[in-house]
Amino acid sequence: MSSEWPDTLAAAPGQYAACGRGEEHGLGVHWEVLLGITGKDFTIIAASKAAMRGATVLKASDDKTRALNSHSLMAFSGEAGDTVQFAEFIQANIQLYSMRNSMELSPSATANFVRGELASALRSRRPYTVNLLLGGYDEIADKPTLYWIDYLASLAPVPYAAHGYAQYYCLSLLDKHHHPDIDFAQGMKILRMCSEELKRRLPIDFKGLMVKIITKDGIREEEYADDQNVAVP
Amino acid sequence: MDSLVAQYSRPMHAEEGQTYEDQQELSQMTPELSLKFALPPVASSASWLRAMTDDYSNPNCPIKIAHGTTTLAFRFKGGIIVATDSRATAGNWIASQTVKKVIEINNCLLGTMAGGAADCQYWLAFLGMQCRLHELRHKRRISVAAASKILANLVYSYKGMGLSMGTMCAGVTPQEGPALYYIDSDGTRLAGNLFCVGSGQTFAYGVLDASYKYDLSDEEALELGRRSILAATHRDAYSGGFINLYHVKEDGWVKHGFSDTNPIFWKTKLEKGEFSNVTADLV
Amino acid sequence: MASGYDRALSVFSPDGHVFQVEYALEAVKRGTCAVAVKGADIVVLGCEKRSAMKLQDTRITPSKICLVDTHVALAFAGLNADARILVDKARLEAQSHRLTVEDPVSIEYITKYVAGVQQRYTQSGGVRPFGISTLIVGFDPNDKTPRLYQTEPSGIYSAWKANAIGRSSKTVREFLERNHKNDLDREETIKLTVKSLLEVVQTGAKNIEIAIMAPGKGIEMLPLEDIEKYVESINTEKQEEAASRRPGRATGSGGTATLAARPGGERSE
Repeated sequence: MSSEWPDTLAAAPGQYAACGRGEEHGLGVHWEVLLGITGKDFTIIAASKAAMRGATVLKASDDKTRALNSHSLMAFSGEAGDTVQFAEFIQANIQLYSMRNSMELSPSATANFVRGELASALRSRRPYTVNLLLGGYDEIADKPTLYWIDYLASLAPVPYAAHGYAQYYCLSLLDKHHHPDIDFAQGMKILRMCSEELKRRLPIDFKGLMVKIITKDGIREEEYADDQNVAVP
Repeated sequence: MDSLVAQYSRPMHAEEGQTYEDQQELSQMTPELSLKFALPPVASSASWLRAMTDDYSNPNCPIKIAHGTTTLAFRFKGGIIVATDSRATAGNWIASQTVKKVIEINNCLLGTMAGGAADCQYWLAFLGMQCRLHELRHKRRISVAAASKILANLVYSYKGMGLSMGTMCAGVTPQEGPALYYIDSDGTRLAGNLFCVGSGQTFAYGVLDASYKYDLSDEEALELGRRSILAATHRDAYSGGFINLYHVKEDGWVKHGFSDTNPIFWKTKLEKGEFSNVTADLV
Repeated sequence: MASGYDRALSVFSPDGHVFQVEYALEAVKRGTCAVAVKGADIVVLGCEKRSAMKLQDTRITPSKICLVDTHVALAFAGLNADARILVDKARLEAQSHRLTVEDPVSIEYITKYVAGVQQRYTQSGGVRPFGISTLIVGFDPNDKTPRLYQTEPSGIYSAWKANAIGRSSKTVREFLERNHKNDLDREETIKLTVKSLLEVVQTGAKNIEIAIMAPGKGIEMLPLEDIEKYVESINTEKQEEAASRRPGRATGSGGTATLAARPGGERSE
């Protein structure tokens, strides 16, 4: 056996001859909500809970996030199938890194690795059409982090971010109300403003948000009530 | 002569080194999951397939794929109900009224079939094979999560190449209890309590969602499954035939008949007064 | 002596030996000792640690005990460098298994995989077998039964209650055979592991490494102070035992109150 063995887990199988997959990302893609907010000592990641296919909501408790290691969480939206396949592929490789090196990859290293994988897939026969938010807590710098990555493999570290139509409503709100040193309660308050605006103005019910918090103690899910009605003035 | 000498004077183990491919084959413990099919020599197999088979945009297309279905499955306290219709259509033509759309993967696992009939039949049979192999290798029955993931990874590897499947995997295992997964040819895989798939899905959802509770009794659940399929066969032109009903329990699945929709429809109408839009009165 | 049959790997000798594989076993016998003991609800790995040289940084020198996945630990005896490759393959398979079927690997599955890799390297051309035996321990997902397997360079794998590999493994195994009981509690299991290692490790706690696996938890490396405590208590026990036994023996032998000679102490390895 030659000395070649795979450096990393092989990417999802896509080795079949030329297949010009029409990049017809279903219209549903843009209705998926991804939000990220950093604060003094935390990062909030929120993702809509609806799994839509055509005219049907198949599931109203979908989890569009995967924990990559104890201090980074990836939220994803995009082409059906691609999203979970890509996220779990990344997750397995980050875990493999932890096992091999007995230490965890930092959020910035993780983000750059993810970007690299997405960029090389972009130039292959079968790109992944996936938009990502990567929330983390850098234990060495003792700082919360948030990275915005789109399906063309642009990477940007940001204090707050959104994907899909949610961007059009939430970014202006966040521009106005966000400050780098906000505490957790203020962060949740801003998130509440965002989710209420989305409920008010988005024509499609996204079935509420699943909210996860990353702090120096790790990742946890935050109870997030979203059963109240929001009236359009 | 020289070549003859060369042939017999090679060092003893010169032939021993193997090509990279041979080694790959040797080092591959289990065969690759997906089989390698010959593909048509065209640039984009998906659009080629569509041109050949899409009878909606081209009624004269050479291949008409069997389509059109209502399938449903839901979890409740007594296990999982799986119900389907039995009609296969190719374009406007009803190709069969007696299709088995529930595929018995093993005595604890069921799969349902919507979309391309051939795709579903073939890949669910393939999944059955993989499940049995998993069972032999790991010395215990495969979990529903693992089985559904094998199928999802498989169809994902053919993404964009024209597979058309919407299927559900239902099963009860000691580790996970009753488990239900939805898998489609986009590569989506979702765990859930209740799914309806196929052209009649909306009609089935309507009836099912309205009366669904997790605490249904076995009889209520079977009746709800049957009634939801009946609703879909009544309103969806591409669904009909027989109602195929299964109940998956801890010790395996039980079949509850393959029954003609016609008498059930008339029984429902006449005894319960439902379907009041259907009348024999001349207006 | 073997007239060429030991040269090529994939050639049998006329009496049915594959010599390279047997030589690999010799490499295992030269490696430092590794022990694994199953208790009622934990499983313990123990390793003999080679004495560090004066300038060696012992804090970051890699250990003989490694994690394959969060719930699987592996200890080996034999060629260190070979082990790294094998462990890496096992880690890759563990993650790949999670990726393709969602569930983590079972201990038997990963053992079978490791043994499978070792076997393939006894039957292909241009390669050399792995000069290592491994002990693989852990708990299956959602299961509280401790598991312990051994693999060998030939690709054989087997399940054990307690076992040892490497230098003087025969001595240690015989010791375990005499002293192992079913349903050992945590303390007893760790103690038996340390005690069995002391059969061959003369230099005490600083040359011993102990790892503990419990269901649903990650690996726990026992700190040096704790190992020292176990070694101390074992030594005093032995002294007491020796002292109490003396009156029964020939009187007036006037032996000093030192430790009874350990079987391992007499071996010249």
